[in-house]
Amino acid sequence: MSHSQRSDIFLLDAERTTWHDETLWFVRQKRDKAVYATPEFQELRQLASDIKDHTLSRLDFYLQQFEENAHRNGVQVHWAADAEEHNQIVLGLLQQHGATRVVKSKSMLTEECHLNPYLIKHGVEVIDTDLGERIIQLREEAPSHVVLPAIHLKKEDVGDTFHLHLGTTKGNNDPQQLTETARQHLREKFLAGQVAISGVNFAVAETGSVVVCTNEGNADLGVNLAKVHIACMGLEKLIPRLSDLSVFTRILTRSATGQPVTTYTSHFTKPVKGKEMHIVIVDNGRAQQLGRPDFRASLKCIRCGACMNTCPVYRRSGGHSYDFTIPGPIGAILSPNIDMRKHASLPFASTLCGSCTDVCPVKIDIHTQLYKWRQVLGQAGEIPTSKKWSMRLLSRVLAKPGVYSLGGRVARQGLRLLPHGLTHAGGYNPWAIARELPEPPKQSFREWYAQQEAKV
Amino acid sequence: MHLITSPLTSSREKILAAVRANQPAELPLPTVPLFAGDDSAEKFTAILQGIGGQVVEVMDAARLAEVIHGLYPTDYRIASPLLPEAVVPVDAQTSIEVLAGVELAVLQGEFGVAENGAIWVPEANTLHRALPVVTRHLALVLERRNIVATMHQAYARLSSVGSYGTFLAGPSKTADIEQSLVIGAHGARSMTVLLV
Repeated sequence: MSHSQRSDIFLLDAERTTWHDETLWFVRQKRDKAVYATPEFQELRQLASDIKDHTLSRLDFYLQQFEENAHRNGVQVHWAADAEEHNQIVLGLLQQHGATRVVKSKSMLTEECHLNPYLIKHGVEVIDTDLGERIIQLREEAPSHVVLPAIHLKKEDVGDTFHLHLGTTKGNNDPQQLTETARQHLREKFLAGQVAISGVNFAVAETGSVVVCTNEGNADLGVNLAKVHIACMGLEKLIPRLSDLSVFTRILTRSATGQPVTTYTSHFTKPVKGKEMHIVIVDNGRAQQLGRPDFRASLKCIRCGACMNTCPVYRRSGGHSYDFTIPGPIGAILSPNIDMRKHASLPFASTLCGSCTDVCPVKIDIHTQLYKWRQVLGQAGEIPTSKKWSMRLLSRVLAKPGVYSLGGRVARQGLRLLPHGLTHAGGYNPWAIARELPEPPKQSFREWYAQQEAKV
Repeated sequence: MHLITSPLTSSREKILAAVRANQPAELPLPTVPLFAGDDSAEKFTAILQGIGGQVVEVMDAARLAEVIHGLYPTDYRIASPLLPEAVVPVDAQTSIEVLAGVELAVLQGEFGVAENGAIWVPEANTLHRALPVVTRHLALVLERRNIVATMHQAYARLSSVGSYGTFLAGPSKTADIEQSLVIGAHGARSMTVLLV
């Protein structure tokens, strides 16, 4: 299925679509308020972009520096070339400790690697502890947004899910009470967790620390109660210096939700005596993306979700329509690197309006990359046949002025004379499914212009 | 002769080699300016209240215990290195069961950040790393002269982040159900700063 076909499913519920659209736009407005209240925000964006550009240009050095410092801190570092190896490493660590109960805080990387089903298959109980993540885990769904994983759901959906799984009263859809239920349910899991898995927002090369940002406190609670902490990170999470965090902590949440900072910005550097800390560094296609000059900048992403909140297509099609771990504009430039054929429709799920680029806190040229992926996909023959042939036909017509003007005359007459059902048939004119073609003018501009010349 | 390398080592080498081959020519690392700003207790208070925290002015540091008793029920199970009458002794080895029973933790905050209401809490101030999140309510004592304007000045104050440390800004919260803000997700249900 293509992006537009999956969007059709989302769009069946018009009321929900409108809610989704307006809610995310509200988050975008909160972002604007926070950004405009920070006088040096544009300078911070440039700094963030430059720091990430520099880091990517010396990534081999920073990876090794980070590893060396982490080792010195008593942390064990593991390297995974792909998702499978990442999952094997994590399972291996769990088995080494005889652990069967794992609490996990938010990590898009472990979603990307499909860690949960892998661990469950091997007899491990893995509990997502971020509220949104827990909701979708109970529903066996994927997150539909990087920061707001359950934004595709209404409180009635959550009420039903909690009624089914956590025994709340049917029809109790109060967010306050549902959150309280989740708190009690997850508290038990936290207290019983043997191993805690966390994602990583930033990895500081000069100190070997990993920084995790949450509002709920689930990462700190899980990690600080468990015997073993496994932090999983993509290799692009590195930043060189501790002081660079001052830039990134200032832009991350302002861009994401309009908050001045997350409630918890936690720096994990050394394990407590008697406990263990592991870091798994994952490639899974990232080094390959680093080698694509046109698309390299996508690795600068700090997963704030601002491009999703602002995107007119994302807001009206929902995260699941992208069918990729990272949805929205940034997902549409990351996904073809992983599987060009499977995700071929995503770079077309954009109006190229550039709003994503405008809000990106690390200045990724997202809409330019979307446009460039279209060229790559076209050359690789990965665009739908109808589009391929119509483009070929159109380029022939546009190359020959005579054919173009004849085509115009035929179209103007045709629109006037042919029945509406024929000119607007969705089968070959999908553009007209929800739109009216314009009233055909009597003459073209060129015909009119020729008449003016004749008059003089 | 066979050269045997463990699979982990080989992935490391493979990844580093690919990164080396694919990374662009070196680009400059910028210097981050020490952006300044309003570092007043008023600004800090306004921002922290805006994100769900409470700020209580303590006129006399010697009367901290009195203020605490005025704010919380007197029978609360308190863990704190700052109050002699704290009833729950906590250190790094304290069991999860004991930690789970703490109703109020009163801890020292190192310094506050006016632009976002965050307070730096290093491991040494926590008694146990989990205490600031596992406790039902959290109170942080902060000296009003220890407020900086921005995160740049905050990190400039830290020569090291130690083994573990966190910038804590307000109570635990979530908006994962229909974007409705709920205070008290997993961590402390309330966060109060005692400004001395």
